[in-house]
This record gives sequence, C-alpha cells and structure tokens, in this order.
Amino acid sequence: MALSLTVNGQQYTLDIEPDTPLLWVLRDELGLKGTKFGCGAGLCGACTVHVDGQPARSCSTPVELVVGAKITTIEGLAKEGELHPLQQAWVKEGVPQCGYCQSGQIMTAAHLLANNASPSRDDIVAAMTGNLCRCGTYARIVSAVESVVNGVGHYDPVQEGA
Amino acid sequence: MSMNRRDFMKVTTGASGSLVLALSIPGCASVKTGYEPETGEWKPDIWLELTRNDEIIFTLARVEMGQGTYTGLTTLIAEELDVDPARITVKFAPVAPEYRNPLFGLQLTGGSTSVASSWKPLRVAGASARQMLVMAAARIWQVPVADCATQDGRVVHPNGIDSLRYGQLVELADKEVIRGDVPLKPRSEWKYIGRQSGRLDAEAKVTGKAGYGIDVELPGMVYAVMTRSPRYGGEATGFNRDEVLALPGVLDVFLTEHGVAVIADRYWRARKAQNALKIDWDFSDALTTSTEQVFEGYRQAANDDPGEQERSDGDIEEAIKSAGRVVEAEYEQPYLDHATMEPMNATAWYHDGGMEVWAPTQAPDLGRIAAARNSDLSPDDVTVHTTFLGGGFGRRLTQDYIEEAAAVAYKVKQPVKLIWSREEDVRHGLWRPAMLHKMTASLEGNELTGWDHQIVGPQILDWYVRNAAPAQYPWAPKFLYNTLGRVGLMVEGLATPKDISAIEGAIGYPYQVPNVSVRHTHTDPGVPITWWRSVGYSHNGFAVETFMDELAHEAGEDPLQFRRKLLDSEPRHRAVLDRAAQLADWTTPVADGRARGIALFKSFGTYVAQVVEAGIEHGEIRVYKVTCSVDCGQVVNPRIVEDQISGGILFGLTAALFGEITFKNGEVQQSNFHDYRLLQMHQVPEVVVDIVESDVEPTGVGEPGVPPVIPALGNALFALTGKRQRALPLTAG
Repeated sequence: MALSLTVNGQQYTLDIEPDTPLLWVLRDELGLKGTKFGCGAGLCGACTVHVDGQPARSCSTPVELVVGAKITTIEGLAKEGELHPLQQAWVKEGVPQCGYCQSGQIMTAAHLLANNASPSRDDIVAAMTGNLCRCGTYARIVSAVESVVNGVGHYDPVQEGA
Repeated sequence: MSMNRRDFMKVTTGASGSLVLALSIPGCASVKTGYEPETGEWKPDIWLELTRNDEIIFTLARVEMGQGTYTGLTTLIAEELDVDPARITVKFAPVAPEYRNPLFGLQLTGGSTSVASSWKPLRVAGASARQMLVMAAARIWQVPVADCATQDGRVVHPNGIDSLRYGQLVELADKEVIRGDVPLKPRSEWKYIGRQSGRLDAEAKVTGKAGYGIDVELPGMVYAVMTRSPRYGGEATGFNRDEVLALPGVLDVFLTEHGVAVIADRYWRARKAQNALKIDWDFSDALTTSTEQVFEGYRQAANDDPGEQERSDGDIEEAIKSAGRVVEAEYEQPYLDHATMEPMNATAWYHDGGMEVWAPTQAPDLGRIAAARNSDLSPDDVTVHTTFLGGGFGRRLTQDYIEEAAAVAYKVKQPVKLIWSREEDVRHGLWRPAMLHKMTASLEGNELTGWDHQIVGPQILDWYVRNAAPAQYPWAPKFLYNTLGRVGLMVEGLATPKDISAIEGAIGYPYQVPNVSVRHTHTDPGVPITWWRSVGYSHNGFAVETFMDELAHEAGEDPLQFRRKLLDSEPRHRAVLDRAAQLADWTTPVADGRARGIALFKSFGTYVAQVVEAGIEHGEIRVYKVTCSVDCGQVVNPRIVEDQISGGILFGLTAALFGEITFKNGEVQQSNFHDYRLLQMHQVPEVVVDIVESDVEPTGVGEPGVPPVIPALGNALFALTGKRQRALPLTAG
C-alpha cells in the first residue's frame, strides 16, 4: 500500500504495510539510522522523533497514523549545516557514553525547549525521565539542557520539518 | 619496562606512500613478536598511519562501548605524536593477533583494562613516529635532531621559523632508524593527558551518524529473527513451516541449533511472521529450575562442601572457636541482566567461501570462532567488522548472537541482519550469576579477630571457555572446540588463567585481621552466566562491605572508624575512605529522615570509597547523594573518569534498587523495561566524584564505581531503619 510521509522536510511515497512501526520505516526504508530501536514498547525513548512537533515513540507508532504529518528525526535537527543548540551543548558537555539513547534524549529535550523556553530543573527532569540511559549520563543531560536554556537561543518549532 | 627500539621497530611504506609505523613489544604482546630467524620476518603491532596529506589514522584495538577508549587511547598516541587528538581519524581494528589484549591473550575489551594495557605501548608508538619525523626533518635541514621541536603536526626548525608538515616528511621518515630508546614526554610537557577534554565520538553520537551494529546496511540484505526455547536447553522438534512461509515477505523458515529462524525481506515482516510460528519443543534437557531452588541448592552445597580454600591467614577455626563473640550472616544476590540499550544483533554475509560479520562485539576474535562454529568454515575464513557498541557491560563478550547470525547467513547465502527484540534480550541473556555468601566473624571486645567468607555459586569460565578456548589454542582443529572447553578448565592455572570470577574482591580482603579464610563452594545450577560490569566484585562487594558494617555495629563502633583502624598497611584504601567521608561530612548529623552509609572496595586495581545518603519517601527508597573518592592512578581524561565512575554508581544503584532476573520452572519471568527497570532521571541522586591526584600507572575505571554503592546504600538503610537487608534488590519495607 502506498503511503506518503514528510520526513525532515522531504516527501516520500512508500509501498509498505500500514501497521509497520514508523521506526522501521525511518531506519530501513529511508535509511535514517539515527533513530534507535531500544524496547519496541515505548518504554525507553531511544526511538523518539517529532510528529507535528510532538514527541512520539516511533517503535510503537504504526506508520499509517502519521501519513500527512511532519516528522522530524535527529538527522533533521541541524539547520543549514549547523548543529542544533542542544546538539552543540551535548558535544560541549561530552554527554554521550555509548551514545545509543542520545538521539531520543535530544529529541525529547528539543520538544521541551520548543514549548518552554526557560524550563526549571524540575521541568527538565519531568520531561526527560521517560528516556532511559543505561550508561548513566543523566546529570550531563540536565547540564547540557540547562546550558542551552541559560545561554544559546532555542529553536523555533514552527520551522521544524518545514 | 625497558625497551630497545632497534629490537622491535619496523617501518614500512604503505601502498599509497604513507608511513606505516609497525611496532611490537617483546613481553607485552600475546603472540610471539619481533624477528623470526627461521622465516626472516617480523611480526609487528600496527596502530598508526600517517599520510602525505597529513591524515593521521589510529587503529583502535579496544572497542568503544561508552567507556571512552575512542577518546582515551587516541589521546595517548596523540600526546606523544604531538598532535591534537581531534585531528586523528580513528578506525576500529580488524581481528589480528597483534591487537590482542596482552592481559587476556584475546582480542577482548573488558576487565577495565584498556588504558592500563595501552598506557605504555601507545605512547611508545606515538613517540617513535614523532622521533622518526624529527630525524627526517633534521636530515633535510642538516641540523641536530635534538635542536628540532614539534608542534601540532609540524617539525619546527631550530630557528623557530621554518617548519615542515608531518605529511611532507613521511617518505623520508620511513628510512630513519631509531637507535636506543625513544624518550617519552615528561609529565610537565603533557598537553592532553590529564587535561579535561571532550569526547572525540560525541559529534557522531549526537547527530545519529555513529554506526552501531544495528545500523549496518548491505545491498540485498534480508532480516532474521530467531525464536529460542522459552526454557534454556529446550530443542525445537517441529514447526508450521508452510504456514509461515506463505506470509508476506517471508523468504525462509528453518531450524537452527539456536531455535527457529524466520527470514524476511523486512524486519517487521519477520517479526509478524514470528508471531504466527507454532513450534513443538522438546524440553527433556531444558532448565527446570526456579529461583528459590537455586538458593536452596546453594545452601545444600554450602553445607555439603566447605569449598576450596582460596585464602587462609592465621587459624580461622581456632579464632572462631575461642572467640568472645561470633557473628554470622548470609547474603543472597540475584541473577542480573546487562540490558544494553542496543539489543543484541549481528549482520553476516556468507560469500566467496568466507563469512563477513558486522557486529557490536567486545571480543571480535571470539566472534570469528562463533561465526565458524556451525559451518564448514574455519575462523580464518571469517572477517569481523567491529562497530560502535550501544553498551556492553560484559554481555557482548559472549558471542551467541554472532553465532546465530552466522548460522543463518550460512544457509541463506545473502547478507542477513539478525536483531533480538528487547524481550528476547531480557529472556535469553547470560546473567550475572546469583550467589550466596555465608560469613562468620569473631570479635574480642571490639576487635575483629577472624573473618570467614564462604562464597557459594558458579564460576564464569565454565560457561565462557566454549567461546574462548579455541582462540587460545589456535592450532586446534574445529572438532575439538567443545573438548577444548573442558581442556581449558582442566589446565586452568597452567595454560589458562585461574578463574577468579567468583572470588575476586573476596580474596583481596584488605582489612588487617589476623585470621582470614576465604572459600569457594563451586556449584552451578545450569543457568547461563557471563561477565557483568564488575563481575565477582559486584557480589563480593555487597557481602564484604555489608558484613563489615554489621560488625562495626556489633562492636559498637562508627563504621568509618571501625574500617580505618584496620587499614594501617593499606594507605591508598584509607586515603579514599577518609576523603569520601570528609567530602560527605560524615561526622556531621544528616537531615531528618535521612541516613548515611559507607563502603570501600578496590576492584580492577582502583580504590573506591563511597558514602550514600538515603531515605524512604512515599514507601520508596530515595537516594539523595553519593559521594565518591577514587584512586585510579594517573588520569588520562578526568571527564571520562568522572563519567565512568558516576555511570558505574548509577549502574550499581539500578541493581541495588531494581535488579533481579527470576526463574519459574526454567523460564525467565521478566521481559522488558517495565519489569526489568533501569534507574530513571528523576531517581538520580547528586553524585560527587573526587579523583585522587596520582602519577602511578593508570588502572581501570569502567567497573570500579559499581561495587561499593550497593553495600553503601544498604548500610545507609540500616542506619535509617535499624533493619538489616541481606538480600538484593533492597526494599523500602
């Protein structure tokens, strides 16, 4: 069945079973491997992407539900070759250890900042606590988000996926 | 270690006019290296390549699984080569004897050994390359070598003005011969070692570009999922092949040694088809155990067999017999899963008489053996491409997932990626063994006079030799592999190292007590086990440091003072203990509803003391703060050391608070992150990591943060509630 998707501003028409999770469409049909498979049940957040600006667990989102939506993945965060402020902060803080969960962490943080320009630490923790990290990078994640809140300008969600 | 460069340096010019520095170090390499008079050949180690275009490529022989080798080892070579580590391109090493970890004789990343084992060889490699480049420049300029300097990839003329890029010098440097030892930079000249610096792999990991095993993509690739016996050791005898084969996208369905494989053109189609599988299982050789039976069996074994004496100081029997007071305790610790965020996976392609494997593995040479096992290939026919690892923690030292992918690829003869679901990852893992510890101590007044520690449970090499033995006996034909496993055990301590996986951390009991006995009652319930971050230290740490706390209370002493008076001959232990206590304000009262606990544990050569401040809120354990002092010798990257120790602390807290794999009638009862929980951000305490400044040789940091936090938390809860918990995970009730 042919489905149309808009991912990182680009339109795709795919012949795929409608119940296929968005995760596997992104990874295996579109080659966007930055979005990760962690649990397949929406429990860990490694597969987090934005669907019309809202964070979604792509491992548990059938692709048929996002037809016509604007989808943004980690590959779509950088604009004109410049990393998203959160990505820059992640590099500066040296957040990633194994790094596997970090795409999902950054996508969740990006949604938080798009909706709350100056979140408190509690806001950050509340927004991020559903994203698991086995290496234990949580404290650096909080610092990285705070460094963006306190310093660099944040990005405009309206532009996302456009 | 004194080394003469002339004896083992060999420099060759690569095909593209690049300088390949080849280096082998007698006594450091796992295979015989150096000049072979019979063949007239050298067997060099190869880490570094410099090109005319000023590319510097470093071959990383220790995999990057989050612990920071990608940055740390590159820093070592960059320091001596005198270039910014960020300028160096890092390549993952292929399988070759030269890349083996000299401490294990296997190409293996584990045991918190990467920096310690690379500390000298990599600096020597960098320094030697730099020296040859300087010699080449000096020859061009006709100036003394000693008067030339280097600066960020250039050799600088004694006039301080002229310079030559390394790339301009590689061809000439190739012809230089170093006589005598190459001096290493003195500490005072270090620019990168010991300085804060970022991680070289950070950008790739925040942009989604870092390639993990699961990201491997090959032309014409198909997908496989494996349905394994719900009980370990069960065998599939039949299945509804035709029905499943008719489903969309399904290319094949067949039986393997590991279970029933479904091959499809897309991953999701393979998963859907798997749901339609109906398999007949023969459970006659399958695991039947339940968790309670494991511990019952351990207790029985402990009574029947006093165990092998692993350490004996003084006369423990007499000490206990004549003691004023005898204290006994028994500690139970469960099976634990690794739960790497990247589930097990591997991609394999059988073509042109050989097998190529792409995998996130901690032991690529064992991966070759695993890939060859179920085919007519020899390990030499297998090429392993190592990727980034989405976590390892010991799980990826066992190569079962590569064995599966290869078995499938051998049959389908096209590239195939096999991915485990999270449920499969949790249910079909190999675990940190459940262990029982029986402790007895004698006290005279408040003096600890005797310490008897009986460790009851399996040891890991019994399970691991199947993988490892063939790599250690490369001459052996393949049909001997299973036998070799047993041979490996028979000659343990001679041809293979003694297996200390059950007793490590217990035999090194650091406290000065006149009578010490450590025994291991070896009993194996048949549940598959493997290395788990900090291995034996993980359970011995809890037993030793909880019992020390119990004894302090029995003796009516402060747990800190009780420990420190027994550490007169262990200054590094005592220093970290004092430092952690000081930083945690141990002697000042804690806020209402909170309590502190302390623990001290050395593992992998590194000394760690931790103070945990905890309480109970709304019926749940709440950890407020962990203060940690660590002495790991010379630090290469302070930021990474801090991250590894604090990461280890959270890994340990996860085990202390939630960690438990249980069995019922041979089946694992957990399946995903809802019932095998990981610590979440809102549960993370404030963590303070203080690193002792030191110039002794570096020791490990990947694992040593884990063991002490578990008893330190238990001890804090005892201080809070007066109730001693002797089984994990800890509870609030």
